[in-house]
Amino acid sequence: MIGPAVLTLIVFSLYPLIYSIALSATDSQLARPFREFIAFKNYTNAARDALFGNSLVLTFVYAFGVTAIETVIGFGLALLLNRESGPTRFARTLGLLPFITPPVAIAAIWRLIYDPSSGMLNHYLVRAGILEQNVAFLGVPGLAMASVMLVDIWQWTPFVFLLSLAVLAGLPHEPYEAAAVDGANGWQQFIHLTLPLCLPGVLVIAILRLIGAMKVFDLVFMLTFGGPGSSTQVASFYIYKTAFQQFKTGYASAMTIIVIVILSVLVALLTALYRRAQAKYGP
Amino acid sequence: MRTVMHLLRWVTVGLLLAFTLIPLIFMLTTSLKSPIEIRVSGSLLPSEGIFLVNWERAFRNVPLPRYLWNSLFVGIMSTTMTLLVAVPASYAIVRFRAGGRLLPSWILGTYVAPPIVISVPVFMLMRSVGLVDQPLGLALLHMVANLPVATWMLMDFVRSLPLEVEEAAQMDGASHWGVLLRIVIPLILPGLVATAIICLILSWNEFLFALILTYSLRSQTFPIGISEFQGEHGLQFGEISAAALTGIVPVYVLAMFFQRYLIHGLTRGSVK
Repeated sequence: MIGPAVLTLIVFSLYPLIYSIALSATDSQLARPFREFIAFKNYTNAARDALFGNSLVLTFVYAFGVTAIETVIGFGLALLLNRESGPTRFARTLGLLPFITPPVAIAAIWRLIYDPSSGMLNHYLVRAGILEQNVAFLGVPGLAMASVMLVDIWQWTPFVFLLSLAVLAGLPHEPYEAAAVDGANGWQQFIHLTLPLCLPGVLVIAILRLIGAMKVFDLVFMLTFGGPGSSTQVASFYIYKTAFQQFKTGYASAMTIIVIVILSVLVALLTALYRRAQAKYGP
Repeated sequence: MRTVMHLLRWVTVGLLLAFTLIPLIFMLTTSLKSPIEIRVSGSLLPSEGIFLVNWERAFRNVPLPRYLWNSLFVGIMSTTMTLLVAVPASYAIVRFRAGGRLLPSWILGTYVAPPIVISVPVFMLMRSVGLVDQPLGLALLHMVANLPVATWMLMDFVRSLPLEVEEAAQMDGASHWGVLLRIVIPLILPGLVATAIICLILSWNEFLFALILTYSLRSQTFPIGISEFQGEHGLQFGEISAAALTGIVPVYVLAMFFQRYLIHGLTRGSVK
């Protein structure tokens, strides 16, 4: 019964890993793999490559940034709307839409929203007197990154909201009844019961988002193509450019292995964090 | 206090509604504006009347139906393959601890790796077996990408079934496959539907593998079609909006139709 799954993993997970490790020790081009064995040269080059370092920093800024904002807003909304009522049912239906929208289609419309000459954001911000003149939201380093992140926040905050509602719906009743008997007020119940009880569940949601955000590629490809300069060039995009536009597959593989190592360490840390939260506050 | 909270809730939902819907409404209104108005004004609503010229041009300049057909074909093929692999594996992992602790953590662990990290070896592999620019090649990769999500959801659905029914069937001499096909699958059918819909949507939206593996209309999917718009014809925002909407609407219709299954499947599978 597990045969097909094992075969899939061997062909599409184990084999690529071994192939990448082998490729990373060679000087390889897309058309001519394994040209020359150069041991760790690709790795020492990667360590000195300022663009690669920059892409890793940008990936972390992006992933941790959007995860923090989406978790706070999404969980906050869930707390506010945590009861069966008109607004909640409405928000739940609506919340399904953004994260099932094809990211490429969403990026296309946000590009028009951000457009420096005829974009909607400029149109209304200038009219309202908040901006004096049109701004190139995707054309200024720093601002471009924030603008890409805002699209991610548009797309994924409702996801966090929906899952947070499920966490809240799964909370046990007994502690609240006991707290009410002891005379705890709403605020005390929130601080001493709701928050700790929700922590493991919310942490799972945040970890899911963090892993997802680390993969960001399509939004960057469509909105900024890594620019201006290299100010939105996240790791996925830099590796893509190296492998499929400059055809340096050996070097790209070395960067790939480094990314895998970093992600493995990160996931191990997050899992440990989750275990501690679960042991302390879980059921 | 009660009414204040109630008011606050509606105001929040209103703001949420605006933030969520305005980009989508803007996409619709942009597709209906005149091309000149799009270039000079970023207002949400068209002021010079409604035009269908963007829709005509979008369908004339770019073979949209072909892209959509490829997406559907790849989506159905990859979803079928995902379920064929994930359903028996999830059942065996949950009920017989098949593959020990390694197999489930390996399957779920593949979710952590960004798709870009397997793209070079997988591209070489697909090229050597002649599956580059073939719908089957892309479908295979979407199966790989969706396997952890599907397995995670399905394992949870299997786990929630009462053991007694399966044990009774085994007493009557049913094999493992017999139990899976005749008892487990019918019982987890709502979960199976939710999993299939999510796999279908994920495949429909997937961009990176499609970008690397497809070159021509033989296999290029809808997201690639949208990105082609930007390159070849400059930034014709009206046409892009029309084309993007054409690819978004089927997903929304599917989601609204199966809304219950979707929310149930998503929230069960991930928060436990």
